[in-house]
Amino acid sequence: MTTSLVLDTSTSRTTVGIVQDGAEIAHFHHDDPLAHGEVLPRLVAQALDVCSEVDEVIVGMGPGPFTGLRVAIAFGESFALARKIPFIGICSLDAIVPPPGTHDYAVATDARRKEVFWARYEGGHRIGQAQTSSPITLKLLDIPIFGEGAIKYGLAQSEHDPYPQVGGLIAAARNGTHYSTPIYVRRPDAFAAPKDVTFRPMNALDLVSIFDIEKRAYAKESWSMAQLKEELASKNRWYLVAEKNSSVVGYVGGLCVHGVTDVLTLTVHPDFRRLGIARELLRRLIDWSRTQKATAMMLEMRIGNVEAEPLYLAFGFVEISHRDNYYGPGLTAIIMRKDLT
Amino acid sequence: MITDQPIVLGIETSCDETAVGIVRGRHLLANVISSSVEEHARFGGVVPEVASRAHLEAMPSVIAQALREAKLSIDDVDAFAVTAGPGLIGALLVGVSAASGLALGQGKPLYGVNHLSAHVAVDALESTGDIAPAIGLLVSGGHSSILQIGDITQDVRTMGQTIDDAAGEAFDKIARILGLGFPGGPAIDLEARSGDPSAIAFPRGLTQAADLVAHEFDFSFSGLKTAVARYLAQTPNHIRADVAASFQEAIVDVLLQKALKACAQTGIDNLVIAGGVAANSRLRELAQLRSAKAGVHLSTPTPALCTDNGAMVAILGSLALEKGAKPSEIGICADSSPGLARVIF
Ligand SMILES: [Zn+2]
Repeated sequence: MTTSLVLDTSTSRTTVGIVQDGAEIAHFHHDDPLAHGEVLPRLVAQALDVCSEVDEVIVGMGPGPFTGLRVAIAFGESFALARKIPFIGICSLDAIVPPPGTHDYAVATDARRKEVFWARYEGGHRIGQAQTSSPITLKLLDIPIFGEGAIKYGLAQSEHDPYPQVGGLIAAARNGTHYSTPIYVRRPDAFAAPKDVTFRPMNALDLVSIFDIEKRAYAKESWSMAQLKEELASKNRWYLVAEKNSSVVGYVGGLCVHGVTDVLTLTVHPDFRRLGIARELLRRLIDWSRTQKATAMMLEMRIGNVEAEPLYLAFGFVEISHRDNYYGPGLTAIIMRKDLT
Repeated sequence: MITDQPIVLGIETSCDETAVGIVRGRHLLANVISSSVEEHARFGGVVPEVASRAHLEAMPSVIAQALREAKLSIDDVDAFAVTAGPGLIGALLVGVSAASGLALGQGKPLYGVNHLSAHVAVDALESTGDIAPAIGLLVSGGHSSILQIGDITQDVRTMGQTIDDAAGEAFDKIARILGLGFPGGPAIDLEARSGDPSAIAFPRGLTQAADLVAHEFDFSFSGLKTAVARYLAQTPNHIRADVAASFQEAIVDVLLQKALKACAQTGIDNLVIAGGVAANSRLRELAQLRSAKAGVHLSTPTPALCTDNGAMVAILGSLALEKGAKPSEIGICADSSPGLARVIF
């Protein structure tokens, strides 16, 4: 018997439920777009009064207005951590259930700023990823549209339950795609890539600039020119450079073997640090690893690398072991790992 | 170490640090911080949405790292504490939600605590005895306040605060004008070491007799910022180190004048200086000189405990537990309004 705690705060409604082998044994909700933070723990406490033993947490990962959306995710992740039970993230749109017999339809929720988050379904399955659009573009769809956004912008033909449902969350967890990070869809303006920096794969002409950055960044421990050449020519590797004003200012390299990407280097010229270049390079290496079907990433970092550690922590890398004297006497390497799910 | 004291895990997300600290009684077991400062650097200040995203991204690994550092399992934790305000609302919500998840998941009590009180409470990790009564000078990028502390878990009052910029903000802004980068505090501190603090007589805000009537213990740093900008515009051949040193001296001087005046007026002879700016070397140096002269006992937590961290939240939770304070109700309402309405939410 599996007991699931389900949570969603992706719309103006806060939804909490407990499902035991397909049967809904507790269900609470509260409608207030600004109170998810206070409401969710109270509803969960009520649900736990009905049944306190749960085996998994299922959470709607969005899309949804950011501030409220994060409440269920932050709560659910730490609840799962506290109980040592699995956390399953699903797309909240997949949990909005159409009336029985409807197979081809769209779902639209309110994204604020006069936009909707939406997705299209055929035969009950989502086609592609969730998107953000102006409501007007959805008027062109010749299929029924459900959800809070559809009602708000006059796209819905009926008032059919427009919120993610407890049963819908369960169904999405069983049959739909799982997500380990929030589905934001809309990048906030502040999250644009670093200014005036472009990214492209490394080529042999870059080696001179890279050798120079290596020496500045690592002094005696930098790679030699011969090592760099060998790296670039080797198989299963991917090197990306960041360029600003036509000069190379940073680079990242990875090696993917048997589904695990090793981060070989992540280096930014000392004069161009704190511009978000390292973050963007790492983000792109993670994206590349996913295309290689990698399920995990590993890296070695010197203990006390105060600049790099917060970046890796922020991306979900977790320390898994130490290697003493890896970088020379007394210099300990930390091995970090990130699961790509 | 006494091993039967309760273990408290504290979460701090009021600004740009995702931080988790663990204490056993009054002993620090772990203090892990993941900062999104690099991402904010190019905006010259903290961007709320960027901070909130980073908190959520980092939270599980920071909690796990803190437990590993303390060599504990989550089941060993007896109570949880979290910053409930003041701070950025979206950022606070991530911490409060995560802490609620832990507390309900474990069926353990949760204390929502005031961030300003927590900054002062951190002193309990390093000093024996009680903090109270004390005057707290709290200076950071987000706040500049003088607090009067009767009992750190319930009786903390604001005697004065900034009426415009926070001290740390003034450091950031001046560092930007001087081309010294973000965050400005450490950059100016370093630059000022080779400069002459008496080279330029920058104004001391709200220290004139006329200002003291309404703002005896309040601060104002915006006039100072304007004065520095004007000086730079009018002095093409200025020496950057001298400007940095003189600016720093003006801020430090006002902070200490008012804090020691608060001690004298209340008859309290304990001064705790906390917050990110408390890591400033000139503030620490001058505070030592002046409080010795005034016969005031000075506490300055180590710099790592001065900036926003989880240990300060954990220790305030632990002190609340020790004093038998009632835990917060389920569903803490994060409060972004500045000041100090409540110590325990
Ligand atoms: Zn603070």
